[in-house]
Amino acid sequence: MVSGPPGRKPVRADLEQIFRSSYPRVVAVAARVLGSRDEAEDVAQEVFLTFGRSAVPAGEAMGWLSVAAAHTALNHLRSGRRRAVREEAADDGEAVSPDVADAVVTRDERRRVRAALARLPRRQAVVLVLRHSGLSYAEVAAALDLSPGSVGTTVRRAESALREELNRHAPSE
Amino acid sequence: MRHPSDGTLRRLLDEPVGVADADREHVAGCPVCLSGLAAAEQDAAVATAALNAEFAADVDGGWSRLSQAVEDRKPARMPRAWRRTRLRSPVVAIFGVVVLLTGIGAAAATDWLQIFRTEQIAPVTAPEADLITLPDLSDFGAIQVTEKVHSHTVADADAARQATGLAAPAVGRLPHGVTGRPSYFVVDRVSAVFTFSAAKTAQMVARAGRTPPPAPPGLDGSKFRLVAGPVLAATWSAGRPVPALIVARAVAPTAYSSGVPYATARDYLLSLHVLPENVAAQLRGFSGEGTTLPLFATLEQSTHPADVGGTPATVLTSRDGTMAGVIWTDDGYVCAVAGSLRPDELLSVARGLRWDQ
Repeated sequence: MVSGPPGRKPVRADLEQIFRSSYPRVVAVAARVLGSRDEAEDVAQEVFLTFGRSAVPAGEAMGWLSVAAAHTALNHLRSGRRRAVREEAADDGEAVSPDVADAVVTRDERRRVRAALARLPRRQAVVLVLRHSGLSYAEVAAALDLSPGSVGTTVRRAESALREELNRHAPSE
Repeated sequence: MRHPSDGTLRRLLDEPVGVADADREHVAGCPVCLSGLAAAEQDAAVATAALNAEFAADVDGGWSRLSQAVEDRKPARMPRAWRRTRLRSPVVAIFGVVVLLTGIGAAAATDWLQIFRTEQIAPVTAPEADLITLPDLSDFGAIQVTEKVHSHTVADADAARQATGLAAPAVGRLPHGVTGRPSYFVVDRVSAVFTFSAAKTAQMVARAGRTPPPAPPGLDGSKFRLVAGPVLAATWSAGRPVPALIVARAVAPTAYSSGVPYATARDYLLSLHVLPENVAAQLRGFSGEGTTLPLFATLEQSTHPADVGGTPATVLTSRDGTMAGVIWTDDGYVCAVAGSLRPDELLSVARGLRWDQ
């Protein structure tokens, strides 16, 4: 348990337990948006710091954390404020490529995916990322206060829009 | 039977047991649906490849870092936390009021001795730990609320205009995904009278382990009247659990003193050393005329300057990125555009606004 300084809003007692069970999922959600492990871990830290002083019920923690990770990561993309850091991280990439040509291709692909996600409507992008991070339809629906039926519709539209965005900005052969 | 929806076809790929038997049976024998299913499968495969990011997260390392971050936060300087109004999520329907009352809260909390008229807004940024330790106004004296916060919905723009005497906004072009007609709500004028107490201030400073300098002549017992509003807000919520867009306008906060000059009061407040130094330094930078409304933000990255029709504006983004707002002053009014949209979308709305009398 983490004890907060006196006079501060206390850090919730179940933070470590929830952190240990949820951290891989939260990092994975952010990584799908950002394509960078380092940046995804930064986002996860930001999200858990906020969560640590929140009163979100433990039973809703996973959904809350996943949604917060998706929004925070998308916000990092859209703000562009850490673009330089991100691209340096991509250059140094945690997924070490076997040769320079592959590394360049990987970096360009990441850039295209990030740009495409940034152009999707926010709701579609969040649903898409959550679903591809392994949340079930029921979990996505509960986290975003949607019906399971509309999750399918939103995922379908998001995937179609993502493909169109990727094709529109595909590198010329 | 009707063809199942695209959403049902998509779910069939991931969770076939979540799809009704009748739909599954229909799809199996329907060329149109099978074609749709194949297209969905192709798009899903593209998305899976694009969003692939598999690696093992370092849970122990992450926990160690988080524990350190929690411990490193500065301890409270003051025993009472100032309850700020700020952008946060999940957002409630009165988000627009929160945006505008941020200004009211700021004026009440830190400009409490000014003769104040809002002519401009400037962000004050500091770590969250510093901002939540700012003293409460009641640590310095007594507050009597003379007009309580009272908000209510009204039927339409005409009713909103009539209730507030303010112009209603006309949005040139709604952002993508925002639809329908707006709802309107108003907040009546709020006001309070604050009476400064040298004894109470001394107690508060003593609790922080310091000895206050003597109060300037005339300050003890001085009264200050704080007034803000009314507020007129239009909200677009169609199809969303929280408002997608809120456009609001308020009569800007004003403070009246019973006679103590602004500079005297400000210098005394700062001499108490009860504010975090980085906050105090930013407040010192404001003009001595009492016309700049501080707008507090928890993170350095969460505000940035912009302009709305040549007027300086501040863009705020909530910490988790779910909400953003643009706030600016216009000839004695505080105007705000906020919602679950990107900052550039909100700026576009702000720049295209007309105010219909």
